Amino acid sequence: MSYALVVSEIRRGLFEDRNLDSIGFSNLLQRNITLLIPEGDYKINEKFVNNIIKVRIEESSFLNPLNMITALEKVINLKGNPDVIIFTLSSSGTELASYASGHFKLPLITDVSGYDKEKGIFLKSYYSDKIFGQFKLTDTGPFIITVRSGSFKDNAVEKASLPASETLEEIQISKNRTFIEYIEEDSTEIDITKAEFLLSVGRGIGNQDEIAGYEELAALLKAVISGSRPVIDKMWLPKPRQVGTSGKTVKPKVYFAMGISGAFQHIAGMKDSDCIIAVNKDPQAPIFQYAHYGIVADANKLRDNLKVIMKG
Amino acid sequence: MNILVFAKRVAAAQEEELRIVNDGQGVDLAKVPFKMNDWDNYAIEEAVRIVEKTGGAVTAVSIGDAESDDVLRRAIAMGAKDGFLIETSETIHDPNERASVISDFLKKESTPFDAIFTGVQSEDDQFASVGGILAARLGLPYASMIIGIDSFENGQVTARRELEGGLRERIKLTLPCVLSIQSGINEPRYVSIMGVRKASKVDRKIFPMNNYQENFSNMIEIIKWVYPEKKAGATMLTGELSNICKDVLGILKENGVCQ
Ligand SMILES: Cc1cc2nc3c(=O)[nH]c(=O)nc-3n(C[C@H](O)[C@H](O)[C@H](O)COP(=O)(O)OP(=O)(O)OC[C@H]3O[C@@H](n4cnc5c(N)ncnc54)[C@H](O)[C@@H]3O)c2cc1C
Ligand SMILES: Nc1ncnc2c1ncn2[C@@H]1O[C@H](COP(=O)(O)O)[C@@H](O)[C@H]1O
Repeated sequence: MSYALVVSEIRRGLFEDRNLDSIGFSNLLQRNITLLIPEGDYKINEKFVNNIIKVRIEESSFLNPLNMITALEKVINLKGNPDVIIFTLSSSGTELASYASGHFKLPLITDVSGYDKEKGIFLKSYYSDKIFGQFKLTDTGPFIITVRSGSFKDNAVEKASLPASETLEEIQISKNRTFIEYIEEDSTEIDITKAEFLLSVGRGIGNQDEIAGYEELAALLKAVISGSRPVIDKMWLPKPRQVGTSGKTVKPKVYFAMGISGAFQHIAGMKDSDCIIAVNKDPQAPIFQYAHYGIVADANKLRDNLKVIMKG
Repeated sequence: MNILVFAKRVAAAQEEELRIVNDGQGVDLAKVPFKMNDWDNYAIEEAVRIVEKTGGAVTAVSIGDAESDDVLRRAIAMGAKDGFLIETSETIHDPNERASVISDFLKKESTPFDAIFTGVQSEDDQFASVGGILAARLGLPYASMIIGIDSFENGQVTARRELEGGLRERIKLTLPCVLSIQSGINEPRYVSIMGVRKASKVDRKIFPMNNYQENFSNMIEIIKWVYPEKKAGATMLTGELSNICKDVLGILKENGVCQ
């Protein structure tokens, strides 16, 4: 029987929201949905899927490519080939999908944010969303994808009945990659998720020497300063100030983005802000699609000008 | 320790206009500058630092046209011993094809290694997949989003992986393995033009890509390039900079964050 295999992402006991995008995509394909999940007590709406297969394994071992391929082999033995295996677009989802693709020699498209069912066309971001590629599979066969969070979750709907559920026999855990521990972020820094007004800087401000000027402006505006990943990577600002998927998700009254392009991983962390103002010298910058107000200008010049006015 | 690092030459498109041409069949990059993929820059730095401690050598490998030699020279200037170019004039989009070429290359040229590093993702295609596919094809343990390496010895690596929201996990892998390196793991060293020029004196080897393509046929293909679907979009503030600034202050006030 044809089915979509949704590999769920459970992190610290939580069924991640982005699993709904995988479920939604399966519905677009009009496939029965089998959810693969580590055995445990999670809050999940089981009615979204037709079948549940549980694996007797810790979440940290489940989200490990070496164990995942063993689990997938078991599922395939039991249920036959799925038409598609769907992973989330996340740190682990990305890792698992590519490893499964290489192991089972199945086609892979990652970060899929759109699908045209009639034509079988997948939409995939290039150059941080400045353009998109329309991809097709060269064969009909099973394929693997990761789906961009937020893209398909509206297609996740409850089925009429509760799913059938079964548990896989124990799988052999690999010794070649093992989990040691989780590491929390240092929490002594300021909490940017509590700020009402974030002045956020990106790579476009040029270099570290410019930061002082932004700190000055932030002080004048009573804003808290935050940044995109490159700014944190280069240590212009401390890590807890990072906005985005691998940093913080923020929702201030105003998010003032200066010199930030608007890559998906950044947008995911700030798109729900009440008011977004973006300054970028590139009129094509994707951030303008999410901003309420946009300014095509040199961020540093705008900063200096604002400072002059504020100092009155 | 011998580490192979894969490095790609990519368009630095962040500040450039990307124009779709030929009815969606191409993207005009003629005026766009090129550079080493940012994530690969971090991967090379990390490999060089490890080898500085453990001994052994770093070899940088790139798949691309003759211009990709730039990336190899830069890697050598950073401390890599050798540079290999798997040369092709095609742009290969399918990450499975790139990984298949690499695994064929490693087998045919019997290139020895204790570890393979890639970047987490290419800036242009963002597949974030070549490392994982390659690892599976080679039957090696794999981890991506590596943001710290604690130890690299006695046949084992202990490393930190980045998850979401600032959370990380510490894991252990046996060597040989494939690791995809996340940006911010280190501070890549500065490379001067002089350094790159000096690196030019080190021989780079060239291997024609079609030697490693027999065992593979494309699994996915690009049909067309398109611009992003327009969302509601921003109200653009235009005019004199000083007037724009006044508008901004008005918006801040309206949203209750500034007097
Ligand atoms: C697994 C993973 C996790 C990630 N997590 C995050 C995350 O949590 N947060 C995050 O931000 N990113 C994250 N990223 C990185 C993300 O993909 C982008 O690379 C990053 O967001 C780009 O940051 P940026 O916009 O500052 O830089 P760039 O993309 O380089 O953009 C710089 C922008 O500045 C503009 N500019 C240049 N000069 C000027 C000027 N003088 N005035 C005004 N504008 C100017 C340019 O036009 C450009 O749009 C992650 C990536 C991966 C793979
Ligand atoms: N053409 C290439 N040449 C060398 N390395 C590559 C190439 N394509 C991908 N890689 C490596 O694989 C990583 C992930 O790429 P991707 O899967 O395209 O996002 C990159 O950071 C590189 O290290």
